[in-house]
Amino acid sequence: QEFQFGPCQVDGIVLQKLWQAFWAMKDIVQAQDNITSVRLLRKEVLQNVSETESCHLLHALLRFYVNTVFKNYHDKAVEFGILKSFSTLANNFFVIVSKLQASQEKMFSTRESARRRFLLFYRAFKQLDREAAVTKAFGEMDILLRWMEKFNQL
Amino acid sequence: HITEDTSDLLQHVKFQSSNFENILTWDGKLESAPDTVYSVQYKTYGEGEWLEKEGCQRITRKSCNLTVETSNLTELYYARVTAIDGAGRSATKMTNRFSPLQDTNIKPPDVTCIPKVRSIQMNVHPPYTVIRARNGHQLTLENIFQDLRYHFNLRINHTYQMHFERKQRKFEFFGLTPDTEFHGTVMICIPNLFKESAPYECQVKTLPDRTWT
Repeated sequence: QEFQFGPCQVDGIVLQKLWQAFWAMKDIVQAQDNITSVRLLRKEVLQNVSETESCHLLHALLRFYVNTVFKNYHDKAVEFGILKSFSTLANNFFVIVSKLQASQEKMFSTRESARRRFLLFYRAFKQLDREAAVTKAFGEMDILLRWMEKFNQL
Repeated sequence: HITEDTSDLLQHVKFQSSNFENILTWDGKLESAPDTVYSVQYKTYGEGEWLEKEGCQRITRKSCNLTVETSNLTELYYARVTAIDGAGRSATKMTNRFSPLQDTNIKPPDVTCIPKVRSIQMNVHPPYTVIRARNGHQLTLENIFQDLRYHFNLRINHTYQMHFERKQRKFEFFGLTPDTEFHGTVMICIPNLFKESAPYECQVKTLPDRTWT
């Protein structure tokens, strides 16, 4: 499948594979998150994102997921027996980040507004206990995938 | 201070959802005392406050319709039930995080199978849901799921069947033998979400060919 995040084009993402990986572990992962009153990827972060902003925002979010969320959730993934799904998502996110890297560096116009959106997510993350925040972020990947789906060039 | 284990009062609190009709169900104790009452609350994920579901406070039945309260397809929801038995013992249990879009099951389509002499036409009726757009317009499954497809299937005999996948709701199988019984099915498929309805089934006989009589 081909995705167009504003000026950034990303090929080779099979979103169904990512959905399948997430659903295989959704209930296990989300059951560990009992802070029902906090949503990290809330409307203000992902709603009404302009095309040009989307590349920056996705790059920032996925890089955070790769460098922080996946990194700190690996042991839990082993503990819960969900390593296969975990690896599918981690590897695909890593590939997408590297594909976005080059093109998003050349764009400066909407970087600031995308950064403000990311900071909303990041501050909410930092306000939680570290382990709880990682678990919550990991359990919100369906929100991220749902948002990415909109940029699919069917 | 010993806290009594009351988990037996309440089990399997979950959403049962079909075409976005979202019903909260649960189980009580096997020999649940008739005086056990249940109260339901719900919330949008990310909100602080639990809201009481009117009409499902201190009820004795084990289900509650939360369709209206969970009708925003971009939101995620939780619900929880509190059970109190005659002896004053209580237990509270919460659902998994509920995503109407992901978690709803798809009902079989409503279809009219029209036999002709050498063909059978299958017309799927618009699959309306309980979801309404902002302008009050009732949405169909096609409005909600862009990649929705219909799988039309006709079994010719024990070994041979015809199968077609379409976005359109109407399909006609041609080249059939007159005055013959056929078994047709139609399913709704949503590939992106790996959803598939149970089949609608029709047993139908082509008309006799009277051209030479």
